[in-house]
Amino acid sequence: MHVQVSPLGIIIAVVFFFSIGGILWWMLHPPPQIKPEVAKARRSVEALKRILVPTSGMPYSERGIELACRLGAEHQAEIVLTYVIEIPRTLPLNAPMPEAEEKANQILNRGKEIVELHHLPPVLLVERAREAGEGIIRAAKDNQVDVIVLGMRTDLRGAQSLWGRTSDILIRKAPCEVILDKLPESS
Amino acid sequence: MAQVQTTEKLELRRDISVWGSFTWGFADVGANTYVALGLVMAYTQGASSLVFALAGIIYIMIGLAYTELASAYPVAGGGPYFTMRGLGDFWGFVGGAALLLDYTIDIALFATASAGYLNFFMPYILGRSIESFAISIGPLHNVNYFWCIETLVLISILIWINIKGIKESSFINELIGVIVILTESALVIMGFLFAWKPEFLAMQWKTQFPSLHNFMYGSSLAIISFIGLESISQAAQETRRPATIIPRTSLTLIFTVFIFAVAFSTLGLGVLPWQEFAKHMDNPVAILAKAIPLIGFIAGPFAAGLGALMLFISSNTGVMGASRLTYSLSQFGIISPWFHTVHPKFHTPVRNIVIFSMIAVIQTVLSFLTPHAMDTLGNMYAFGASLGYTLVFIALIKLRFSDPYTPRPYKMPLNIKIGYKGRKVDFPLLGVIGMLGVATILFMVVLTHTIGRIAGPAWILLCFIYYAWYRKKEGFPLFKSIKHNWEKEQIEVLTSAEEYDLLEQYKNALAERDKKRVQIK
Repeated sequence: MHVQVSPLGIIIAVVFFFSIGGILWWMLHPPPQIKPEVAKARRSVEALKRILVPTSGMPYSERGIELACRLGAEHQAEIVLTYVIEIPRTLPLNAPMPEAEEKANQILNRGKEIVELHHLPPVLLVERAREAGEGIIRAAKDNQVDVIVLGMRTDLRGAQSLWGRTSDILIRKAPCEVILDKLPESS
Repeated sequence: MAQVQTTEKLELRRDISVWGSFTWGFADVGANTYVALGLVMAYTQGASSLVFALAGIIYIMIGLAYTELASAYPVAGGGPYFTMRGLGDFWGFVGGAALLLDYTIDIALFATASAGYLNFFMPYILGRSIESFAISIGPLHNVNYFWCIETLVLISILIWINIKGIKESSFINELIGVIVILTESALVIMGFLFAWKPEFLAMQWKTQFPSLHNFMYGSSLAIISFIGLESISQAAQETRRPATIIPRTSLTLIFTVFIFAVAFSTLGLGVLPWQEFAKHMDNPVAILAKAIPLIGFIAGPFAAGLGALMLFISSNTGVMGASRLTYSLSQFGIISPWFHTVHPKFHTPVRNIVIFSMIAVIQTVLSFLTPHAMDTLGNMYAFGASLGYTLVFIALIKLRFSDPYTPRPYKMPLNIKIGYKGRKVDFPLLGVIGMLGVATILFMVVLTHTIGRIAGPAWILLCFIYYAWYRKKEGFPLFKSIKHNWEKEQIEVLTSAEEYDLLEQYKNALAERDKKRVQIK
């Protein structure tokens, strides 16, 4: 028996060693076990397939759109952008308001750009209501959304309630999960 | 409709670790390669590496199918359980009977082979060779009673180990698995570094290519070297966190065995002429090891010892597989619930272990009454596996449609989305290719294996007689299924396996389905 060394043999031996070693190492390092409570919390978020974001065109509400997009990115959620035109009680709900409608479309199109940057499907809605909160809730029910993400104004000192009227209505009456995003006043 | 009543409270305990799960499979598959190498090379000559690689590709597809199903349904029962869930009770029974034949042969064949390797040392201990114990009894010639007794002693040891418990049984596999992997790796690395001649391999490939018939026959034998994947799924109900662990151990087993099979055949053809392996079919790895410089001088006794160990643990997986398979079948009304009992102290299915090991004992004794015991057992081996695997592929495809809600931690690759009853289903293209591949192997086995093509169907028929009797006695339908509450069972299995993440996924999927049903109404 003579020692017979060939470069190809050396290469095969090295590849063999690392293939077997590598695959065994991978096998022996499984991910850690997930506790029941952790699994429940983790999987409860999975069902977010349609997210409603009310927008007023203000920076804080557009930040809400960005947050919603990131939240829905994993499951390719549909982002339902909603602008509510508040109709004064002195006018009928279907009263023509061309200026407000044009503004609504501009704001929604700006929001659509944010959504499209994340390659998610946007849905644009213009709702008419006496109060913003009421219009958002109707849109949420009609579109069977899984969650509402609301970007809140930073300065609530003049507000009548703790979180602002719209947020109050959403928290009380929303048919789904509600996520409120409020930045500190200094930002 | 009739429903199975199960009153048994004692369950199998989850004692098998990651390494244990892997070695259950490796013990079985690794030993096959060790035995099949010489046999396959004798027929496929210079094309041995190609044949092992081709058979290995079909084996990889089988492995991927098992990985998907075993991680989705981590219960004892393996292939027949998957078949039953996908195709119903009757086909589950057919798959079960086919694999039960393999498990009992596995016990007999590998215990016989293990004793054969031990006999290598006989001239040093008793001063005479094993052949000298062969006698003639009337018309029966070459009956080796001593070898037969050795085999029966080994089977008895395995029965005792398996009755004591899976922990002890698994420990043997784990320990020997380490030794075997290290030794085989050392042989391959040393061989490629110091003995392999690529030009010699090329010369054999060019000048010693087999005929088409030999190539096909060799391929049907090569698939034998990959039988044993089932063992990992059989142990699923005793594996810790099976849905997480099994995809890893299965994928590792598939690729490890594939690499070893192709490496040994490639190394062999680059070191020795294929005729050398054909001449030493009983001990091909030892012949190869002997030809490797620096380590060759200890190769003979070491390879014999290693072979005995490997084949012993392979036989052990047969005992475990047969007992767990029947434990599972009894749970679902395929066979009597009498088989769904675990021992109060050992937590093992003692009745199943004893009864099916006894069937292996009968097979052993009968095979030793023929001139070539191992030939007789080996001839029947591929039938059961290829039939069982074909049914598993069909079940996998069906389950993608009928049970899309069960989370699949691993999914066979190469899927196309198709619409079915208002939802999207991942249709497994690779599953279809694998099914056709295994069905071809089954056809080749029936065509070329003279004993297997008679004994295999005869065994299935025998089992069917029992099945028909039992189902009639219990008032269960013969060809239709008993009503099973698969959803409740799946929740219980995932809970007991502590796979909480998958449990939540499953519950969410069912809730989503129910919501949609309500909306439609």
